[in-house]
Amino acid sequence: MTPKLRTALALSLSTLCATTASAQAEVTVQFWHSFSKGNEKALEQIITNFEAANPDIKIDADFIGNYNDIVTKLQAAIPANRAPDAVIMEVTRYGLFADRGVLADLTGYLDADPLKEQLFDFARKVGVYNGKNYIIPFNSSTPVLYYNKDILTRAGFTEEPALKTYDDVLKVARQITEKLGSEGISGVAAPGQFARWGLVMDNDSNLIDPDSNEVLLDAPNTIEAYQWMASLVHEHKVASPDGVTEEDNGRDAFWAGKVGIMFNSTGNYTQSRKALGDKLAVRPMPCNKVCSVPIGGAGIGILSSAKQEVKDAAYKFISFAASAESNAIWFAGTGYMPINKGAARQPAAAEALKTQPGIDVAIEQLEFAHGRPRPPVVTWMRSSEYDQWQAMALGQRDVAETLKAFATSTRNESQRLSN
Amino acid sequence: MPRKFTPYLFVLPLIAFIVVFTYIPILTSLNLSVREWDFLSPDKPFVGFENYRLLLDSHEFWNSLRVTAIFAFVSVPIRLVLALLIASFLVRETLSARILRGALFLPFVTSTVSIAVIFSWVFSTDYGMANALLRAIGGEKVPWLQDPAIALWVLILVNTWKQLGYDVIIYIAGLQAISNELYDAAAVDGGGRLHVFRRVTVPLVMPTTYFLLVISVIEAFQIFTIVNVMTHGGPAGATDMLVNMLYRTGFTLFDIGKGSALAVLLFAILITLAWIKARVIGRKVHYEA
Amino acid sequence: MKPDNPLVTGLALVAGLIFLSPALYSIWMSFQAADAFYAGKLKFTLDNYALAIGQYHFARYLLNSIIVSGLVTVIGITLSTMAAYAFARYEFPGGNFLFGAVIATLMIPSHISLIPNYLTLAKVDLLDTYAGLILPAISNGFAAFFLRQYIRGIPRALDEAAYMDGARPWQVLWRVIVPIAKPAILSMGLYVFITEWNNYIWPLVAVGKEDLYTLQIGLARLYRLNPGEGGIDWPLVMAASTITILPVLIGFVLIERHLVRGITMGAVK
Repeated sequence: MTPKLRTALALSLSTLCATTASAQAEVTVQFWHSFSKGNEKALEQIITNFEAANPDIKIDADFIGNYNDIVTKLQAAIPANRAPDAVIMEVTRYGLFADRGVLADLTGYLDADPLKEQLFDFARKVGVYNGKNYIIPFNSSTPVLYYNKDILTRAGFTEEPALKTYDDVLKVARQITEKLGSEGISGVAAPGQFARWGLVMDNDSNLIDPDSNEVLLDAPNTIEAYQWMASLVHEHKVASPDGVTEEDNGRDAFWAGKVGIMFNSTGNYTQSRKALGDKLAVRPMPCNKVCSVPIGGAGIGILSSAKQEVKDAAYKFISFAASAESNAIWFAGTGYMPINKGAARQPAAAEALKTQPGIDVAIEQLEFAHGRPRPPVVTWMRSSEYDQWQAMALGQRDVAETLKAFATSTRNESQRLSN
Repeated sequence: MPRKFTPYLFVLPLIAFIVVFTYIPILTSLNLSVREWDFLSPDKPFVGFENYRLLLDSHEFWNSLRVTAIFAFVSVPIRLVLALLIASFLVRETLSARILRGALFLPFVTSTVSIAVIFSWVFSTDYGMANALLRAIGGEKVPWLQDPAIALWVLILVNTWKQLGYDVIIYIAGLQAISNELYDAAAVDGGGRLHVFRRVTVPLVMPTTYFLLVISVIEAFQIFTIVNVMTHGGPAGATDMLVNMLYRTGFTLFDIGKGSALAVLLFAILITLAWIKARVIGRKVHYEA
Repeated sequence: MKPDNPLVTGLALVAGLIFLSPALYSIWMSFQAADAFYAGKLKFTLDNYALAIGQYHFARYLLNSIIVSGLVTVIGITLSTMAAYAFARYEFPGGNFLFGAVIATLMIPSHISLIPNYLTLAKVDLLDTYAGLILPAISNGFAAFFLRQYIRGIPRALDEAAYMDGARPWQVLWRVIVPIAKPAILSMGLYVFITEWNNYIWPLVAVGKEDLYTLQIGLARLYRLNPGEGGIDWPLVMAASTITILPVLIGFVLIERHLVRGITMGAVK
């Protein structure tokens, strides 16, 4: 038996026997999150620091899946009384849970917390629903444009091409696919949902109107944006359908050096840099009609069902995770934007800004970044959008027709939810 | 003499489980299907047949029904023809027949999730076995599970691979029941092998064929695991079978009313199929005997 | 069994291997180091298994699968045998009606009870427990039906002899019927065990806690979450898949005959 195997066996046996016998901390906070791979390591670092500073609190952190998986699992958990105590909630999808009283109102906690003054305005606002604070920001992002310098050079771009409009991007992607397609390299990764929303905003539209909560899925500029995105896959064939059926595939292919351009959250910065090194370039999102990017990311909420002492402990952790020190570790370890005004002064953050070119692109985009609305229907809309996108991107259904039908069903759903 | 209530004591535990986990749920589903609920709200308002109307109005439902029907009515006949041919070769008690029967039967008892994972690899675009073989004979790589026109056929293939052994075993049992004298008689009549197969084997295993046909179609209407692991119903709904849609509507979109309405419709479809089975098989078996 | 022409046997072996090649290749792949594998080289290793068991807790999932499938089989077969005995040996008011209710479950798709069973178990706080995994799977109308048919074939004279000796009904069941029906009970038990082992949709909704994942859920999740820095770490996934297949595979080799009998008897209804 190899030593590794032996250790593994011993470990698994001991976990079997010791599930209940682990050292009893005074309060355990069960925490669901969405961070895997490198980002999970950065989170673990913050948790370790917190537990060292608060030996009476244990954070029992579970990786659940992506934001959508978390929302799904949380909703299923409510009738079963098996929700955790604290949970990462993406900024557009927690409205439903705030609305239904699943999330605890944290306004009182935040008002009494010096953290409130330390948070950037844009970050603090993502946690507010109907005037109350339901989540405390943790990871904030905007989508950015990543490209692989090596691939662009080999495709014949001796100088950096313009990447301002849809046409610019398509031109570059086409040239890459033509020149390097035979090596299995494609021009651009099919945009993920966050990037899709961003590209719609670039086209001077939105999915839901931020002021009136009106559904804009069938607005002419939204349709035009989706037509362009879908054409990348099925008409121009500069994006692989692999990234349509499984969003992460596009990102994985970019990391593997198989894709020239990727639109994705700045939260992928550190891992992209790890994968591509100096070949990685980061640029702002295109501005097809206007310059406008969505503010994404997530915050941590506390479940109303948690016991009071657990709520207090969970809030302590949430506040610690958003502190300047933790936020700097998080920023440097992942590429998510700083949310705490003090983070930039921390040595870890200063070091990252100096040595990691492009990590600041998302921050610079903040001047034209916009928060997004989060009425309850957004949760349903985002869960449903994946299938609609697949049908459009794979050329199965007409874009305008699909979006019109989707807009109608979203309006129906919105009405249903407000009953 | 045993006392009067003895038999009730013996059947009670089983009946209790059946009532709680099978019969009451049917009533619950019926009830939920005329209500609106998302697991979160305290109330479940009554909405009449609205959920059924929305469902029958939706592109999704008809797509799902179409995909499921194609899956069932294409894959089942292919399987049965293959299985009968193979079974007529493997019915002999020889070592080679034993080996092949074992090999064919193995996938049937293997975990469906494992099979789905293994075939996800076989048909993965970049590292898969299927594309490696294609390239070896000079072909282009095919995006098996990413192309809406192909993905359903891949699932049909995988399900056939898994189920074929079961059909073969059942056919063998059916064939063994046919007496050798009948074969001999047919051979004496001067029929060749093909003739005997068509005139003797096929008609005499008809009851087995009907049995397999109906249970396979019913099973095909309930397929979920392969879909959930390999495609999630994608690409673009091309493999969105009914149970997958039910799972998605109920447990990812949390439209509990619509999900229950879909469950009721699926139930109605399957009961109809089962009823046809009872009618047709009942008659056929009677007729053949 | 007749041994036949060695050439035919050889061909049969090759055909069988080709048919099973995807599965066999996946097992072989599970013993390859991932880096070498993607670089087109071969390097034997057990590390994938170490990783599956250590970091991804497949030993725990294996244990869960054994507990769940084992209990479903034992409890389910016990209840079915008791009911089958009563239906086979007693004429009692409502008996036919109850038997009809049992038979009817064969036609009722399990999916109609998915959401209701979730809510039922949620109400009694049994989701995320072994009980929650086991209870809805226990009632098995088919086993009851099948065993009833079998028991009806056992001569009543045997029961009556036992009653003469002063046995009680449950003693007759236990000492007379069960020993004779043992092959049928065993075959049915195997069938139930394998069905439950491969059960997917119910554990998928009923279990949220990783501690209670069965092998099927653990494997599907491992595959979906794409461990590894880039794409999927196929050798690791295949090691997990092999762990999932293995127990049934071993069982299959040991008891193929019983299994085949259970399944064919199932068909002749």
